[in-house]
Amino acid sequence: MSSTNYHIRISSTLFLITIILSSFLCSAQILNDSISTKSLDEVIVTGTKTKRQLSSLPLPAKLISKNEIEEINSSRLRDVLDQQTGIIIVPDFGGGEGIQIQGLDSEYILILIDGLPLIGRQSGTLDLNRIAIANIEQIEVINGSSSSLYGSEALGGVVNIISSEIKDSLSLDIDYKLASYNTNDMNLSTGLITKDGQKFNIFFNYYSSDGYDLDKSDNLNTIDPYNNYTGFIKYSFSKNNFSFFSSARIFDEKQSFRINENLFGDNNTLEWNSNSKIGLKISDNFNLESDIYFTSYNTEEDISSVDIEEAENYFDQFLIKSEVRGIVDLGIRNKLILGIGYIDESLSRNDFFKNNITQSSVNLFTQFEGFASNNTNYIIGARYDNYSNYKSQISPRIAFRTKIFKDVFLKSSIGKGFKAPDFRQLYFNFTNSTLGYSVVGHNVVVDVISELTQSNQIANLIVSLDQFNQKLSPENSLSINLGLNYNPSNQLKFEINLFRNDIDDLIDYRVIANKINGQNVFSYFNLNKVYTQGIESTFNFRPNEKLNFIIGYQFLEAKDKDVKSSINNGEVYARKSSNSPSFILEPENYFGLYNRSKHTFNFKIFFDAKNDLKLNFRSKYRSKYGLFDSNGNDFLDTYDEFVKSYFDLDIAASKKINKSLIINIGIDNLLDYTDPANISNLPGRIIYGKFNLKL
Amino acid sequence: MKTTNIYITLTLMLVFISCSKDDDSVPLLDVISNQITNLHAPQNGGSGNGPPTPISGEFTKFDFSAGSVTISDNDWDIGFRGTSIIVNGGVSLGTTDEPSRTGDGAAYIANGTFTSVTQVNPSLFVQDSSNGYAIPAGSGGGWYTYSGPPTYLITPTPGKILVFRTADGKYAKVEILSYYKDSPPTPDYRFSQGRYYTFNYIYQPNEGVTDF
Repeated sequence: MSSTNYHIRISSTLFLITIILSSFLCSAQILNDSISTKSLDEVIVTGTKTKRQLSSLPLPAKLISKNEIEEINSSRLRDVLDQQTGIIIVPDFGGGEGIQIQGLDSEYILILIDGLPLIGRQSGTLDLNRIAIANIEQIEVINGSSSSLYGSEALGGVVNIISSEIKDSLSLDIDYKLASYNTNDMNLSTGLITKDGQKFNIFFNYYSSDGYDLDKSDNLNTIDPYNNYTGFIKYSFSKNNFSFFSSARIFDEKQSFRINENLFGDNNTLEWNSNSKIGLKISDNFNLESDIYFTSYNTEEDISSVDIEEAENYFDQFLIKSEVRGIVDLGIRNKLILGIGYIDESLSRNDFFKNNITQSSVNLFTQFEGFASNNTNYIIGARYDNYSNYKSQISPRIAFRTKIFKDVFLKSSIGKGFKAPDFRQLYFNFTNSTLGYSVVGHNVVVDVISELTQSNQIANLIVSLDQFNQKLSPENSLSINLGLNYNPSNQLKFEINLFRNDIDDLIDYRVIANKINGQNVFSYFNLNKVYTQGIESTFNFRPNEKLNFIIGYQFLEAKDKDVKSSINNGEVYARKSSNSPSFILEPENYFGLYNRSKHTFNFKIFFDAKNDLKLNFRSKYRSKYGLFDSNGNDFLDTYDEFVKSYFDLDIAASKKINKSLIINIGIDNLLDYTDPANISNLPGRIIYGKFNLKL
Repeated sequence: MKTTNIYITLTLMLVFISCSKDDDSVPLLDVISNQITNLHAPQNGGSGNGPPTPISGEFTKFDFSAGSVTISDNDWDIGFRGTSIIVNGGVSLGTTDEPSRTGDGAAYIANGTFTSVTQVNPSLFVQDSSNGYAIPAGSGGGWYTYSGPPTYLITPTPGKILVFRTADGKYAKVEILSYYKDSPPTPDYRFSQGRYYTFNYIYQPNEGVTDF
C-alpha cells in the first residue's frame, strides 16, 4: 500500500510542477486563445495529441460525428462502431463485445475517453457496451499502430471518444428510448456556462434490458437481464493563458445470471475514472499541458448452486497515469511535441498466484509534425516505454502525405507497435475444477510447478524450467499503411488504404507438464508470428445537400506465418469431417486466423426529406468466418465448420416536431437474422421509438 | 453365396500367383486391413462433473491378430480407457486398474496419412513407463486435439498415425477416426457419447516384416 502512495506522489508531483509553472508564468501573458481558431474543416485530436485538421493528417483516420451518432439512434459505443468500414464487432465468451480493426483483436485496440485509457479487460476484450454515448461530441479512430504516441495496446489502432461540451449558457437535453426486449435507455445532459467562462457539464444515463434468448431449447438466456447507469461530470475553465479541465465518470452494472439448471449468480461491475488537465500557454509558440488520471474497475461475481455458494470471482484493477507535454510551434504549421509520462497499475483477482500485482512504467515520447510545402506534410515520432517486469520498448513512426495529382493525395505511414504482456499471462494460477487442467502465468511457473510436484500432481515435465528465467517479451508489430484520397468536390470523396501488420512474439499457451490426472499444465510463451493485410475503402457521394450515400468495403487476410510455411512444406494434415481419414492439406485450403472474414461491406443512405423528416437505411455484410477448428489440426482450413455469411439491415426515421422535440423510430436487424450457436451478440429484430427534448 | 464363391476364387488366385513367384520360401500372409467401430473405452474418475478424481476402470484391450477386443491378461496388444491408450509392453504408469504389461509391445506416432506411412521405423518405438505412456496423454501431444470451449470436443489430430509393435513383436498401424459413438461427422458434446473409438488399422502378421 505504501508503494501505491509513493506512486501517487510521483504522479502528483508531475502534475504540481505544471500548476506551479502555470501560476508563475501565465500572469505576464496577453489574452490569446489560439485553440478556438475557426475552421470549417473537421478537427481531430487523436493523431497528434493536439487539435488539428483531419483532412491533412497523414494517418489513416476516421471521424464519427455527433450527427451520425444521433441519426442512427445508437445507445452504446458498439452500435456506432458496428456501422463503420473496417471495424468489426466481435462477441467475447464472457458476454461482452470487442472490436476488431485491421484484423487485430480487441486486445490490441486502445480505447480512450477524452484521450485517457479505459481499463477492465478481464480476458483481453474491452466491452464496448460499457460506454454510453449520448454525451459524445465525436468518435475518432486511428487505424494501424499508434504506439509511438500511446504505447502499449495501441498496436492495431486507437478509438478516442470525445465528450461533448456545452455550447449555450444553459441547456437541458433529455431523451428516452424504448426498444424490444424491454430495453430502456434514458439520457439526461445538462450544462451551464457562467459569465466568467466556467463550463459545467453533467450527464446521466440509465440503461436496462431484459436480455434475450436465441436458443429456446433450454431454459437459459443468451443474455440475462441487466441494468446499468453512467454518471459523468465535467468542468472546464480557461482564462488568459491558463486552462483547466476536470472530469469524473462512474459506471455501475448489475446482472443476475444462470449458468445451468443448478448454477446461478450475480455480477456487479463498478468502474470510475477521474481526469484533470491543465493547459498553459507559456509563450506564443510554447504550450504546456499536464494531466493526471485515476481509474478503477471492480467486478465481483458470486456463483451459487441451490443451497451453497460455489465460487466468488473478483477482478479489481486500478491505474494512475500522469503525463506532461510540451508543444512547440515552429513556424506557421510545424509543431513539435515532447512528453513524459508515468503509469502505475495494480490488479488483484481470483486465480492469481499473488494477491496483488503492481507494475509501474515511465515513458518518454516526441513527435514532430512538419509541412514541407502546402501539399506535403509529414510526422516523425517515437516513444520509449520502460518496464520493470519485461523488456522496454521503443516505438518509432513516420508518416507523410503528399499531393500526386489534382485532388489526389497519397498518404503513408509506417510504425512499430507493441502490447505488453497481460497480467494473466504472467501471474495466472488457475485449475479448471471440472476438467482438471491448469494454466500458469510465465513468471510464476517455477513456484507453481514446485508446489504441484510437492503434492505429487506432476507426472512429467515437458518444458525445462530454465526456460522461464527469460522474461516474456511484449508482442510487437510493424504496421504499414498506404492510402489514396480523392476529394474533387464536396459531393465526392473516395478513400482507399492498403494495410499490413506483421506481429511477432505473439503470446500463446502450450503444454509444459503432464499431470497424473491425465490432464496438462499450460503456460504462456512468445510463440506465434502472424500477419494481417488488406484493403479498406470508402466511397462517399452527396449528389445534393439532402442525400448522402456511403459505401465501404474491407478485404482482409490474416494468417499465422509458421502454419503457412508448414503447409507449404506439406507437413500439415486435415480431415474432410471429424470422422474421416487424414490427408495432406494444400496451401490454398488454409483459411487463416479465427474470427476473420475476408470480405466486409457496408452501404448507408441518409436522406433529408421535406418537413424536417430524416430517413436512413444501413446495411452490413460479413462474409463467412470460422470460430474454431473442427477437424483436429488446431487451425482453420476450408474443411472446418464456418459461421455463415450474413446481412444486417437497419432503418430509421426521425421527425422534428418543433424546436425542442424530435421523435425517432426505427428497426434494427430488419431481416431478423440470428445464428444462436455462433453469433450470440445478434438478437432478433429490434423495434424502437425514441424522443429527444432539448430545452 | 455368389459373393463367397468370388472371394474363394480370388483367394485361390492370389495364393496361386504368390506361390508361382517364389516356390522355395514360406508364403507370406496377407496384411490385414480392417475397421473397428464403436470400441467402448469407459473410464471412472478423471474429469467430468465435479473436481477431478484419480482415473480408474478396466482398460478395453484389443488383440491385432484376433482383430477383436479381448479380456485375456496376456494376449493383448493395446488397451483403451477414456482418451488413454496403452501398449502391452514396458511398465505400468501406476494408475488404478491398469493391467501389468506381459508382452513386448511398443508404439510411436508417425506423421503422415494412413497410406503414406508404409514403413515401420523400429528405432522410434517407445514402451509405456512409470513416467508416461508410449502414446502421450493429453491434447496436442498425443493422438487427439481437445477443442476446449465452446465445442468441448475430442477430435483425432489429422496426420497422426499410431504405429504399434504387438505384444509378440509384429507391427500394426492405426488411424483413429472418431472418439464418439457411431462416429458422427459433426459431433456435439451435448448429445454425442464419447469414449467410443472408431479406427482403421493394418496389421502385418509376418514376423520381422516392417512394411505394410
